[in-house]
Amino acid sequence: MLIGIPLDKQRNDTCKPKECAAEMSAYLNTVAVKRCKLSFSKVFSYFAPRLRSYALKQMGNEALAMELVQDTMSNVWQKAHLFNAEKGSPSTWIFTIARNIRFDMLRKLQNRKEDVCSDDLWPILCEQTADTKTAPLDEQITLEQVGHYFEELPLKQKKVIEAIYIDGKSQQEVADELEIPLGTVKSRTRLALQRLKDMLREHD
Amino acid sequence: MIKFHPTDTDLVGFVEGSLVPAKSLLISAHLDLCDECAEKATAFTENLALQAIKPSSRKNYLDSSLVNMCESIMELPAATQHINADGFVKQTLSVDGRDFILPEALSRFSNRIGEWSHLLGKLWQAPVEIGGGHLAQFIYMEKDGGVPEHTHKGSELTLVIDGKFADGNEEYDSGDFISLDSTHTHTPVAVGDEGCLVFSIIDQPLYFTTGWARLINPLSHLYFRANS
Repeated sequence: MLIGIPLDKQRNDTCKPKECAAEMSAYLNTVAVKRCKLSFSKVFSYFAPRLRSYALKQMGNEALAMELVQDTMSNVWQKAHLFNAEKGSPSTWIFTIARNIRFDMLRKLQNRKEDVCSDDLWPILCEQTADTKTAPLDEQITLEQVGHYFEELPLKQKKVIEAIYIDGKSQQEVADELEIPLGTVKSRTRLALQRLKDMLREHD
Repeated sequence: MIKFHPTDTDLVGFVEGSLVPAKSLLISAHLDLCDECAEKATAFTENLALQAIKPSSRKNYLDSSLVNMCESIMELPAATQHINADGFVKQTLSVDGRDFILPEALSRFSNRIGEWSHLLGKLWQAPVEIGGGHLAQFIYMEKDGGVPEHTHKGSELTLVIDGKFADGNEEYDSGDFISLDSTHTHTPVAVGDEGCLVFSIIDQPLYFTTGWARLINPLSHLYFRANS
């Protein structure tokens, strides 16, 4: 249960887009600055059910729709500091997050071979590319080098990377197989890739 | 002056996320160069957001699964990186003794650009690893250099990064977005005082990339044969 936080279960909140945008912007800022759970629950109460309707139409499947809502709202909670009211309304920001996640989900589902992910097209949540200190990787990295560094990864990360990049499995498949949450697979992948990049850079 | 733009239908498809990735990438790069289309795309995104997340919707309530979801999300830690989202550095691409600034969308692919190879005459090519059976590449035409006359089996999307070229039908300038298919035959030649750098994507089969190449850099070079 949420401790001391009333979720507006029956709230049939319809408000004018502009007022709503101002209200939601304020909540998002409080989430960013104070990690305020009450503010997040307000944002969640407004957006999650609406996102679910949208996601159901888009994905045509309750489980996938819920995954889309979960991933979107997790990003809102974790990256509220990237929201900038000057660049657009909360609705637009959250819609673009959902659009990106949907794009990547469909990419996996349809087994598209392009190495173009949503961050490449719409880097709204892209913190890595925003890192001014990140130099491009040396272009002469050999397969042997990568393989060598790969061996140095922690076992858990290695398993995940192997399954995704060598066996070509989806993150969901890996999660099911290893019986760990999807979020864990995602974070292990991210950490492993970051670690590989760091190692490649250090040994340059 | 940019004269050639994606259609509105393409722009809507792009912001919706329904266009194929290769075309989306080209449009994303075009938007970095074209304020007019970038403004349109912003407006289309706002419209789509309103349609997707309807403010007036009356049957929105939290059921127990959403309440549980909300609780579990708030257990997550905040993202630790706080990096200025505007601090992105544009990458450059060097050829012919010049450094070209890449549009942001293509800068993100700068670690997937292969070596320049000399094709013929005054024509240079550097592959970009995007996978999916697409041949993505930078093409550099030295001053007065060009590509022999050719047509396309599928579609050819081109973005002019820097310089001008003419192809017997039109003259294109920096920022122009060009979409051609099998009905077009053309002979691109750089015009003006300098060479011309373009980025193009052709949907013809390629070697599949290995997992490792996806992970890091272009480990395998992709070769392109000009249809002379």
